[in-house]
Amino acid sequence: MSVRRPRRAGELIFALALLTFSLAAFWQAYGISGFSGLSTAGVFPMLASGAMVLSALCILWHTLAAPRARAEAGQTPRPEVLRFFAEVLPWRHVLTVALILTYLLAIPWLGFLVGSGLFLFVAFAYLWRPGGKRGLLVSLLLSAFCLGAIYLVFRIVFQVVLPQGSLWRDTLFRGFL
Amino acid sequence: MAEILASLTISWLDPRLLLLTGAGTLAGIYVGAIPGLSVTMAVSILISFTFKWPVNDALALIAGIFMGGVYGGSRTAILLNIPGAPSAIATALEGYPMAKRGEAGEAIGLTTVMSVFGGFVGILALALFAPALSDFAIKFQSRDYFLLGVIGILLVGTLSGESFAKGVFAGALGVLIGMVGLDPMTAEGRFTFGSITLMGGIPYVAAMIGFFGVAEALVQLHSLDVKAIRQKVERIVPRWADVKRYLGLALRASGIGTLIGALPGTGGDIAALLAYDHARQSTKNPEVPFGEGCKEGLVAPEAANNAAVGGAFIPMLTLGIPGDAVTAVIIGALFIHGLKPGPLLLVETPHLFWFTVGNLVLANIFLLIFGLTGIRIFTKIVECPKAILIPLIVVLSAVGTYAIQNNPVHIYWMLGFGVVGYFMKTYGFQVGPVILGVILGPMMDANYRRAMIGAQGDIGLFLWEFVANPISLVLSLFLVFMLLSQTPLRAWLVARLRG
Repeated sequence: MSVRRPRRAGELIFALALLTFSLAAFWQAYGISGFSGLSTAGVFPMLASGAMVLSALCILWHTLAAPRARAEAGQTPRPEVLRFFAEVLPWRHVLTVALILTYLLAIPWLGFLVGSGLFLFVAFAYLWRPGGKRGLLVSLLLSAFCLGAIYLVFRIVFQVVLPQGSLWRDTLFRGFL
Repeated sequence: MAEILASLTISWLDPRLLLLTGAGTLAGIYVGAIPGLSVTMAVSILISFTFKWPVNDALALIAGIFMGGVYGGSRTAILLNIPGAPSAIATALEGYPMAKRGEAGEAIGLTTVMSVFGGFVGILALALFAPALSDFAIKFQSRDYFLLGVIGILLVGTLSGESFAKGVFAGALGVLIGMVGLDPMTAEGRFTFGSITLMGGIPYVAAMIGFFGVAEALVQLHSLDVKAIRQKVERIVPRWADVKRYLGLALRASGIGTLIGALPGTGGDIAALLAYDHARQSTKNPEVPFGEGCKEGLVAPEAANNAAVGGAFIPMLTLGIPGDAVTAVIIGALFIHGLKPGPLLLVETPHLFWFTVGNLVLANIFLLIFGLTGIRIFTKIVECPKAILIPLIVVLSAVGTYAIQNNPVHIYWMLGFGVVGYFMKTYGFQVGPVILGVILGPMMDANYRRAMIGAQGDIGLFLWEFVANPISLVLSLFLVFMLLSQTPLRAWLVARLRG
């Protein structure tokens, strides 16, 4: 049963986005084989996307019916955009996702070891924030330790082939990385 | 009888096999527990080393990994709210709230004992009822598998926090993701947009790790400054009174787990969810409400998913049909070792069947030992600051996703699913149904179409078969009951009847 809780910042936009995506998926599913038969390749995608459209409509209906969030006593209500960036997508999230994306894009280029080492160091330094110059050293040592443990478990024990990185392809480090 | 006993105890008496089973179980527990590493992946990788081994050595290691891996998923479900495998989704619903209350040690202790109990029930069923149960499973038609898939997804939908519609949406989204790629029957492209990468489909591991690993890491960013709860691990061995109290439920859940595990294509994930639902329905006055750390909700799925291991071996060894993804990998290994899993296996090499049964018993004993002794070290993970844990989860998730097919594109999928999963979680969706949809979608599609082709494309005949066959009728009635009980239709019908 639905819970009548106040609408969260950006929830209506999300519900609309789900409906739009579902309709687009249904259209694409229809394009596979249309209504040419009941056992064609497009039938099941149409059933799945049809269920998405119906449930997205229900979700939108419930979201519209949900009461708006009230401002705390004595405070003026903030615009929804500001609430969205404060409650749902704060800067910490934006920067962390950007950092993860950079890391994942850098893996084929830098390789797993160097890329992960840099990512862990930057992420520890940014999120953990151990104070002062010693803090950076602690982050560095911690990331080196974690990387060593991951390398040992995955590369040595499980023999997982990790990306070597195109940058080191013709260097002496190739075999190690 | 003497021959059976001799085969049964080979691995108990041979130090090498004993060591391999123990090492496999320990490895399975930790691999199953590491976010992003699935037991399927561990078996796939480790099995490749065993191809040149004697068959008994290979089977000993595999049995340990399988048994340990299914259990290991529950640890991260309890400690981090990241199920190590889909079969631990229901465990996270109750185990994580218990850990947040500082009862992680008790939750893991109870989980271990009930997993071992479930494991023994599954093995006993494998030994006693293998032929009978496989006879029953073979009667299932395509439409029954289709119905089982729909029921499985809707069951997860009912577990969805805020509304049934959100559960249905998440399940259907998962099915849609599972449809991407070339149609296995006609090779027509579905949602490929002409891209060669998409023609191969979206790997479910990338979706699973993205939705569970990355999305959870992003959610956890909100509580970065909140110190992790110091876990109470003083009491690991559960109270006898607790064990006694939940033994009846564990036995029923193990029965469900064994039966579901024995059905081809359905494994520990559906078994755990059905058992969780059974616990919810059968527990009238729980001490703690479901979803807030209810022990009944922890006991049932854990007993069921380990019971499903024994169950999954039944169709594998007697029919040559994999019970789940792991047994599919094991079947491949058995063929490489020159064995023919199927009805003739029990006739030609009965010692192998009993050796496997004995091995599973041994792995289960090791599970109890390792499960109850390694918790203190393991719980230290959650005492680690989240600012350290979150980047590590991201790196482990990237390795886990990459390792499946060594394809960098999969890690971009993982991040994409992680971001979508974060928004879904923020707005009250559960991501469990998505993953189940991805896994069950292709199976449901294939079985629906087989059933429709069997009915010669006649919709009337197709629907008639759902009520004409006793097994299909029971499943159909169960599905209708579920739909009625979860939607406003029930209230409307009751009002109409009373009015």
